[in-house]
Amino acid sequence: MSGRAAALPVPLPRPGSGAAFRRWTERESVFSWLMIVPPLLFLIALVGYPFVYGIWLSLQDRPVAHAGTFIGLRNFVTDAHDPVFWQVARNTFIYTFFATILKAVGGLGMALVMNQVFPAKNAIRAIMLLPFIVPTVLSTVAWMWILDPSFSVVNWLMFQMGFPKPGPAWLGNPTLAMFSLIMINTWRGLPFYGITLLAGLQTIPPDLHEAAVIDGAGSWARFRYITLPLLMPVIFIVTLFSVIFTFSDFQLVYVLTRGGPANATHLFATYAFDIAMSGGQFGLGASVALAMLPALAVVILGLAFYMRSR
Amino acid sequence: MIGKKYEVFAGSRRDFLKAAAIGAAGSAFGPTAGWSQAKTLGFMHESSFIKPFDEYFQKKLAPAYEKATGVKVNYELTSVGGLQTRVATVAETGSGPDITLNFFTWPFLYNEKYIDVSDIAEEAGKKNGGWYDAAKEAVIVNGNWKAVPFGNVGQIMCWRQDWFHEAGYDKFPDTWEELLEAGTKLKAAGHPIGFELGHGFGDNHGWLYPLLWSYGGREVEPDGKTIAIDSDETAQAVDMARKLFKQTMAEEVLGWTDPNNNKAWLSEQISCTNNAASILFVAKRDFPDIGKVTQHALNPAGPKGRFHILAPWSHSIFTHTEDKEAARAFLRWLMQPEQVGAWYAAADTYYAPFLHGFDNAPMWQSDPRWLPYRDSLATSHLPGWPAPITRASTESVAKYVVVDMFAKACAGASTKDVIAQAKAQLKQIYGQA
Repeated sequence: MSGRAAALPVPLPRPGSGAAFRRWTERESVFSWLMIVPPLLFLIALVGYPFVYGIWLSLQDRPVAHAGTFIGLRNFVTDAHDPVFWQVARNTFIYTFFATILKAVGGLGMALVMNQVFPAKNAIRAIMLLPFIVPTVLSTVAWMWILDPSFSVVNWLMFQMGFPKPGPAWLGNPTLAMFSLIMINTWRGLPFYGITLLAGLQTIPPDLHEAAVIDGAGSWARFRYITLPLLMPVIFIVTLFSVIFTFSDFQLVYVLTRGGPANATHLFATYAFDIAMSGGQFGLGASVALAMLPALAVVILGLAFYMRSR
Repeated sequence: MIGKKYEVFAGSRRDFLKAAAIGAAGSAFGPTAGWSQAKTLGFMHESSFIKPFDEYFQKKLAPAYEKATGVKVNYELTSVGGLQTRVATVAETGSGPDITLNFFTWPFLYNEKYIDVSDIAEEAGKKNGGWYDAAKEAVIVNGNWKAVPFGNVGQIMCWRQDWFHEAGYDKFPDTWEELLEAGTKLKAAGHPIGFELGHGFGDNHGWLYPLLWSYGGREVEPDGKTIAIDSDETAQAVDMARKLFKQTMAEEVLGWTDPNNNKAWLSEQISCTNNAASILFVAKRDFPDIGKVTQHALNPAGPKGRFHILAPWSHSIFTHTEDKEAARAFLRWLMQPEQVGAWYAAADTYYAPFLHGFDNAPMWQSDPRWLPYRDSLATSHLPGWPAPITRASTESVAKYVVVDMFAKACAGASTKDVIAQAKAQLKQIYGQA
């Protein structure tokens, strides 16, 4: 082989020919950049540009269809004096906190169950993903009917069980409306947690569990000392993603309550949209949307540090 | 997008590129033939609740105009609720259709991107018996007509004749006090009233602003600066809303958006609501038994009069329109009595004409129950009235300041607190915090 290969004339690179270019592109330092540039351009165009433009808008008095004037941080000062803004901030934190905890606990439970061996396992796993797959607007319209006071299947069941009429106003009572939205968000986000954690569970070597069983560990001890520690990195990352998505949720609220009753369910994203679109105040709207940034930045930095420390 | 681009190519290369770019943009926004020699106009509307209305334009008006002038009109429909985002995008980017439909106060919001159409509007007024004052309130910005008014999607009272009769009422209560009394009896009989108090677009404003006005309350004085919400009149209106809510309604109305009262009506859950003509329209078509007992009436009066919300439709031409004369010619043609009258009739009075010439049009006789929609025009105003429409008044509506003032009171807060909160919000919005 080697003799034959040596006998073959090695094609000399013609000056300025494609071969030199090819060799240049195959250098790792160059090749890696070539691979990175397309997604980078994509990110700059679709994430970076709107983000920077959003910051620029938030520093202007900028009515729709009208030239803006630079006003520094005055929009943020306006927000700080707006009682509804603080109510929106509180709503967003409550919504994100409870929905994320419910999704984390429920999703872990779901993953543990799905990790068992039972008939029609794959079919059931696929079905469990449905809430995540169905477009949110569609599933939310279904929820609108489920919670509709006149047609609510929930209230109907309650009447059957002897609760007095009229049943609870799921979207009419300010507290219940927030509760309902948290529940629906949990319902929608649970499969994301479940499936991701299931993937994590399946990477845990079975021999660890076998060894623990031989040492006399019960199922709780095995969960506490083997499953949970090994699953922590996955739980951490899923939670961070979930916090980001929940914090910036829009569709669910927009379809169900549009922020009502009396702003009890307004989130940053819906409030920003109302101000910018219905109110035609792009600058002020952008400043409300950007108010999400500090909280999300903490989360993202947390993610970055955690990934680095591993 | 107007065609006739073949002319431009005699110009410089830059002109050619510009024309090519416009052609490409045009093809992205509709079936415009960027290179053909046919003139086309883009006319943007939101899908109408009344199907025959859109069909009438597509099948009758557009072909008729093309036949008469050779100009093809592309009737571009957005999904329900999608028009404002589209108009904002078109106004911002300066590309897209030439003419658009407006709702609410959009002629004020997009004022700078709309051309002055005073001549068309004034001519249409002359030919059709003159405009209602409400039409002028809806489109005249700084003395110029920035849109040609079309019709009003009125919000009035919708009441169940049979249940009111059982409760001892053969005509609709004339005042809010009387409505409270009737509603209390009706709720006791298992037929509550249902007025939206949530964050919809129409059915909340439809009764809350008129309630406020009918007690003499207002957000801001006509000078557009002096905050006037903190008054005894407002307090009386808020107290009345709370009484109506507590004694005649179910808690759910606090979370309602616009579809809820229609659903509640058609499932026979409520005996009275404030709505556009959609309830009677659907009831007649799909629920004839409910349709027979569905009645309309003007809003109840308060101590300072009777009021209605103005929900105007109008048409504007964008400043980016290439061939403005073609767009003007089309609007002028559309507003001729033959065209506009037939288009109104296609929607069964759903869009109440702003033109006095149609006050006694045959369509009103098709069902006398529609007539209050016509009669409400004389007392209809935009949210924020009697102050002029400004950026601040629009922001107040977008932030639901008035709606939430009433909703919070109904949910249990004190009248003093809700008015103080509304006042603080208005001060901030009007830049006086």
